[in-house]
Amino acid sequence: MMNKQVKMGILGLLLVIPSFLLLFLTVVIPIAVSFKESLTNKEGGMDLSNYKFLFTDKLMRSNIVFSLEVTVISVVIVLIVSYALAAYMRFNKGKLVKWIRNMYMIPMFIPSVIATYGLIQLLGNHGWVARWVLLFGGSGIPLLIFDMKGIIIANLWFNIPFTTMLLGSALAGIPDSVMESAKDVGAGKLRIFIRFIVPLTYKTLLVAVTFVFMGVIGSFTAPFLLGPNAPQMLGVSMEQIFGVFQEKEQASALAFFTFLLCSFMGYFYIRSMIKEEGARS
Amino acid sequence: MVQGIQGVQENQGIQGKQGRQENHQVRDSREIQLSVQQLSKRYRTGEGVTSISLDVHKGELVTLLGPSGCGKTTVLRSIGGFLEPDSGDILIEGESVLKSPPEKRPTSMVFQGYNLWPHMTVFDNLAFGLKIRKVKKADIRKQVTEVLKLVRLPDAENKFPGQLSGGQQQRIALARSLLLKPAVLLLDEPFSALDAKLRHEMREELREIQAETGLTMVFVTHDQEEALSISDRIVVMNHGNIEQIASPQEIYDHPNTLYVAQFIGKMNFLKGVVSEGQVMVGKLRFPNSKSLSGAVWLAIRPEDVMLSSHGQDGLPGIVKQIMVLGHYAEVSIQLPEYGVIRAFQPRDAVKELNSGDQVYISFKKVITYPEV
Repeated sequence: MMNKQVKMGILGLLLVIPSFLLLFLTVVIPIAVSFKESLTNKEGGMDLSNYKFLFTDKLMRSNIVFSLEVTVISVVIVLIVSYALAAYMRFNKGKLVKWIRNMYMIPMFIPSVIATYGLIQLLGNHGWVARWVLLFGGSGIPLLIFDMKGIIIANLWFNIPFTTMLLGSALAGIPDSVMESAKDVGAGKLRIFIRFIVPLTYKTLLVAVTFVFMGVIGSFTAPFLLGPNAPQMLGVSMEQIFGVFQEKEQASALAFFTFLLCSFMGYFYIRSMIKEEGARS
Repeated sequence: MVQGIQGVQENQGIQGKQGRQENHQVRDSREIQLSVQQLSKRYRTGEGVTSISLDVHKGELVTLLGPSGCGKTTVLRSIGGFLEPDSGDILIEGESVLKSPPEKRPTSMVFQGYNLWPHMTVFDNLAFGLKIRKVKKADIRKQVTEVLKLVRLPDAENKFPGQLSGGQQQRIALARSLLLKPAVLLLDEPFSALDAKLRHEMREELREIQAETGLTMVFVTHDQEEALSISDRIVVMNHGNIEQIASPQEIYDHPNTLYVAQFIGKMNFLKGVVSEGQVMVGKLRFPNSKSLSGAVWLAIRPEDVMLSSHGQDGLPGIVKQIMVLGHYAEVSIQLPEYGVIRAFQPRDAVKELNSGDQVYISFKKVITYPEV
């Protein structure tokens, strides 16, 4: 006769198996296949030539550096703006707060292609902003899109709402009483922010960094429509190598490298979670 | 049989007043540590406090007692600086603190929900306030170790709040405030989240700590038993006003108003009438010491009700129920014209008493109030 513990264990396994299988089929197998392909050379043998190409080819190197620059700048700006918005909504009341609360999520409901097209219409050389500037006697606007700035602006549009929502819920989870008790022992506003608000939202901040980093580094639509021809973001570059140059193995190497970059971020997140749990148990 | 009727007792209001005056004279000789003057605060809901005035002497433990929404927490939070009153003033050690933010006030608050910082160890929770005050590292360690001993948690310094029980967390919260040596320690229903046994222990510990440290404390609770057991003085509040300020004994023995009489302890109420200069209820007569007229309420503590099987001068009643509650019994008696009255009797005294028995009741002490 099976005891209850064994039965519960089997039930747990049965519940986990479907999601594990799905993850295995859609994530693990493609990664393994890509990795194998990335090690295949033009003669059909196995070596690191495709990875060598990634780091020795001048254009590919500049693509990687460009992608990392865009990603880091986007992550930093998104976090600053989102944290500021979330904190403003958490610690203030009034009409402006209500207005921000009602508006900030709107970009999430606009498909990325449409939003990107909208940005071109707004910020392009003959876009709305340029026309208004000309109308008021200006001499046009500096180049805002079709270079790094354009991709960053699009990334802000796509990522600020979700990040603000994440950070907003984390800040809402800090009870007023925590801040009151900090004030009670003599802490001023800056100290409360540094010693209480930031540490208590640190986990969510890490989640936000990971999400934004992964989203930006793997992005395609905005870099494809708003970015420069060279250097390119990794997603656009990957599409070109795969679709235009038909270099499947090189595209796989680039894909696997992008996966490693994202895993790197994921590793930091998971490590900090384990460390924190370990310290408290 | 049960206790014999001892006749009509005099209203002891005058004696109580003399006691209060003596008590106040003793207190008045002590330094006033906290003075709340004409404090008013009104919320949009209409609740709040109106013109509250209160002096707390150095080393005194004063409890603000009342039901939810009576304004006790409003007063406490105003003292702590977490609420800005509409009018009035708050003086600590003779100086107005009204314009100071909480972090600048010489107060410290122990909150209802402990409010320990979950991301810091116990040591860091305790040391934080001292670090702000730029106390030397060695002194911080020494003081934290001492205060942990005081609250009987000497081995807790490396634990996180989540690893402590509710009672332990509340002790740490208390320790955090004690470390700051505030001029006034504010306690906002600090034991309400604890179970009855732990609450009882914590009360005793608080009293011991207060005796040891000599801190001035303002304690908020809705639990009258808690207030009666730990306070030097109790401030009974109702609808944003003070009903009575007095020692626990005075409050219990001489409640100033009908509200206080209803709120503190168990009390029987009988409707009487003033006639020929005396307060009358049935055959019983009492002196009209408060010079009342017309219909009045008589308030009688259950322990002041006396039962007899043969006293024709008492009010006749039928025993309805006898509940033995440990060392004493609560006897419910149905009075034909006045409803049910409860009497506390020694357990041995009710051995021969049964439900349905005819008894006569009289009172050792009554307190009279005008009928509102």
